[in-house]
Amino acid sequence: MSLTPYVPLVVLFGLATVFAVFSVTIGPYIGPRRINKAKLEAYECGIEPTPTPPGGSRFPVKFYLTAMLFIIFDIEIVFLYPWAVAFDSLGMFGFVEMLLFIVTVFVAYTYVWRRGGLDWD
Amino acid sequence: MNPALTGVLADGGVTTGEAVTFWILAPIALAGAIGMVLLRNAVHSALSLVLTMLSLGVFYVLQAGPFIGMVQIIVYTGAIMMLFLFVIMLVGRNTRDSLIEVLRGQRVAAILLGIGFAMLLGTGLARGIGSIPAVGLAEANVNGNVEGIAKLLFTRYIFAFEVTSALLITAAVGAMILAHVEKKPGEKMDQKVLSRARFEKGNYPGPKAGPGVFATSDSVATPALLPDGTFTERSVSKVVPARELTIAEARPKAVNGSKEYGAIK
Amino acid sequence: MNDIQLPPIDYAALLPMLIVFGLACVGILAEAFVPRKHRFAVQATLTLAALIAGLVTVIINRDLEVTTIGGAVTIDGAGLFLQGIILVLGIVAFGLIAERRLERGGAFVANAAHAADSDGDKKQLNEAGATEIFPLTLFAIAGMMLFCVSGDLLTMFVALEVFSLPLYLMCGLARRRRLLSQESALKYFLLGAFASAFFLYGVALIYGYAGSVQLVAIKQSVLDSDKSGVLLAAGLALLAIGLLFKAAAVPFHVWTPDVYQGAPTPITALMAACVKAAAFGGLLRVFNVAFETTSWDWRPVITAVAMATMIVGSILAVTQTDIKRLLAYSSIANAGYLLVGVVSLGGAVGSSMFYLVAYGFSVLAAFGMVTLVRDADGEATHLSRWAGLGKGSPLFSAMFTIIMLGFAGIPLTSGFSSKFALFSSAWDANQSALVIVGVLSSVVLAFPYLKVVVLLWLNPPGDETPTVSVPGYLTRAVVGVGVLATIVLGVAPSWLLDMVNSAGTFLAK
Repeated sequence: MSLTPYVPLVVLFGLATVFAVFSVTIGPYIGPRRINKAKLEAYECGIEPTPTPPGGSRFPVKFYLTAMLFIIFDIEIVFLYPWAVAFDSLGMFGFVEMLLFIVTVFVAYTYVWRRGGLDWD
Repeated sequence: MNPALTGVLADGGVTTGEAVTFWILAPIALAGAIGMVLLRNAVHSALSLVLTMLSLGVFYVLQAGPFIGMVQIIVYTGAIMMLFLFVIMLVGRNTRDSLIEVLRGQRVAAILLGIGFAMLLGTGLARGIGSIPAVGLAEANVNGNVEGIAKLLFTRYIFAFEVTSALLITAAVGAMILAHVEKKPGEKMDQKVLSRARFEKGNYPGPKAGPGVFATSDSVATPALLPDGTFTERSVSKVVPARELTIAEARPKAVNGSKEYGAIK
Repeated sequence: MNDIQLPPIDYAALLPMLIVFGLACVGILAEAFVPRKHRFAVQATLTLAALIAGLVTVIINRDLEVTTIGGAVTIDGAGLFLQGIILVLGIVAFGLIAERRLERGGAFVANAAHAADSDGDKKQLNEAGATEIFPLTLFAIAGMMLFCVSGDLLTMFVALEVFSLPLYLMCGLARRRRLLSQESALKYFLLGAFASAFFLYGVALIYGYAGSVQLVAIKQSVLDSDKSGVLLAAGLALLAIGLLFKAAAVPFHVWTPDVYQGAPTPITALMAACVKAAAFGGLLRVFNVAFETTSWDWRPVITAVAMATMIVGSILAVTQTDIKRLLAYSSIANAGYLLVGVVSLGGAVGSSMFYLVAYGFSVLAAFGMVTLVRDADGEATHLSRWAGLGKGSPLFSAMFTIIMLGFAGIPLTSGFSSKFALFSSAWDANQSALVIVGVLSSVVLAFPYLKVVVLLWLNPPGDETPTVSVPGYLTRAVVGVGVLATIVLGVAPSWLLDMVNSAGTFLAK
């Protein structure tokens, strides 16, 4: 059994490693340095002590929006899966079809983005 | 997918590997399903359902349906169940359904009708499927199951596929309309403004002491003690209503018999 | 290896749907990029342009008879006519949706994410309504158009969802009485999801029987097969539940009054006119194309459903005290009459489509006039508030009387000619029992309509009688068109009858 089909995979893995190492090391050198009082503070999670009723509390509804948007793009993946598997035999029309689909779904993305659905505050 | 294997499966034969996996996962799937109904905590229920869904996903892959298996895992277990959990947390996981029946006898009627419908469908299916031999699985899977689905999805059902994007757009717009309050121009606070507000005079920018630190009780309403022994009101959220303690509550806890702990009012 | 081939696609045949879908997407983009103060004008123009362009292309395609995309879409005379009905009624309903002169900001809430009666909700009381309504309406109408021309059950299911989802959403966006509106949206969504699940299960069972979800292939496999029909019967039963739910037939009608009452009135009008046309378009196609040869199996059941729908709808309409609920029960009874057309199969397709046109125009005018009777809290829908409106607003009352007489089936109105055409074609198809029940129930149903007429004219106006708002030009046009159609189709129905009969029937090959 030939291992050639796995060569791209190895290359991809190598690229991912290089990218991760590169971004972590280069950050301190090329990043902007602005002095800010807030940066000198010790980091602690849990900014405001929020009262939690015994047994847990309710999430804000913002999370719902995030979850729904995730599901929408997750469903897009479902269609991408058979498309990717059959890509070779689908030919050009398959590419155009999927492009059309992705562009249409991106209409939804544009709307959400422009109307501030991706801003947390 | 190996055509020979598919042929075996289509004929109803079961390989050893399939049988072993089935007998391991079937009890797990059942346990998850039973757990979902019986567990009192809604989050635990949802997690048991995840277990069942995952087992089902493996079953699908086992039965030569890798596509449906992957969808089961990516969409159902990954996304839908996550949404379940989100919704449980949105509603509050201690929220319970009211057990009062609005319509009298509705629950009994629903159970009876449900059982009746299941029996009708079950016996009907048993009779119907029993007389029909399964055909065409081998042809459908000749290039592999996923490729077979791609072949239908991107040719004959292309219009339905493209129109699905309308469904996704509607879902996104709906989520935005129902859950997103749009900020008016000027209402939006960027990081700069927030940071300025934090360091304004009179505001303590550091992290606040958690409630109950060094205190005599771990209630969220008990303010923390600073190193010099005074209370810090900042540690208690303004949302918690302040009230006087009852005498019993204010009575010093019998810790080393000391008296100064009882000073909380 | 390039072994997967795309089936030939007739883009001209799909053009009406492509236009409406495409401009709906453009509408969403407009929501994203057009500044807030211009959105309403842009969206209203875009929506109207899409509907008119769709209608024009449907008219250009009128003689087309083609099966395209490997059988997924069947464009035929009846399908095109149904698409035309949906677009025409959609254009009329658009007038109600876009109306902003009756109430500041229109009938829809500005920001539905504010909890009802919260501080944020009180602040937005006078803000302009959400303009997402327009692209959502376009999506719904495009879905309905696809629903009527689907050649297989899978495409039909996707179309069903595409037109249902925006409607669920829009039901919850009323500006006034928001909790009632949200309740109606939730009820419609939950029950609609159940119905969709039934539909899908039915499709699966039918696929198990026929080995295909294409309507034509199902018909063929029924003819060829000597298999046990249990799967087919069970599948058809579940499929019918999904379709009858949308059509609001008894016993799947319980959502109708609550949703019609709670939804913003323009959306109620859209549901009563366009969704009815789409649901019956789908029912007629499924039963005429795929299951015509098995009519011995399903006819008794659908006949019973039709009778129950006519009887329950008309009797419960008598007891209603709210005009929107009354119209909801009347729409249930009308679903019963249309089911008579479904049971009668081939010969009644034309008269069913005629009925859909006549009923659609009248019901749009009726809901349009419901939006006009208002007090400080919005629409005054309780019937007691309508007493004596004839004194102060004779023109309004006269028009409402015409619509009520039309619903009651008085001669020289479209209600009479459409019922007459439908029942006579059912009679020709030997459905005499259904015709008798239909005629008797329409006599019962005439009672609540005439009660409203008596209330308008003969009761003295009370202190509480609300005013009839001066309609904006859009509502004026909707009501005018609706009343005119009610009269014209009653006095001179022959041209439309000729048109529906020459439109031909469903392509079954």
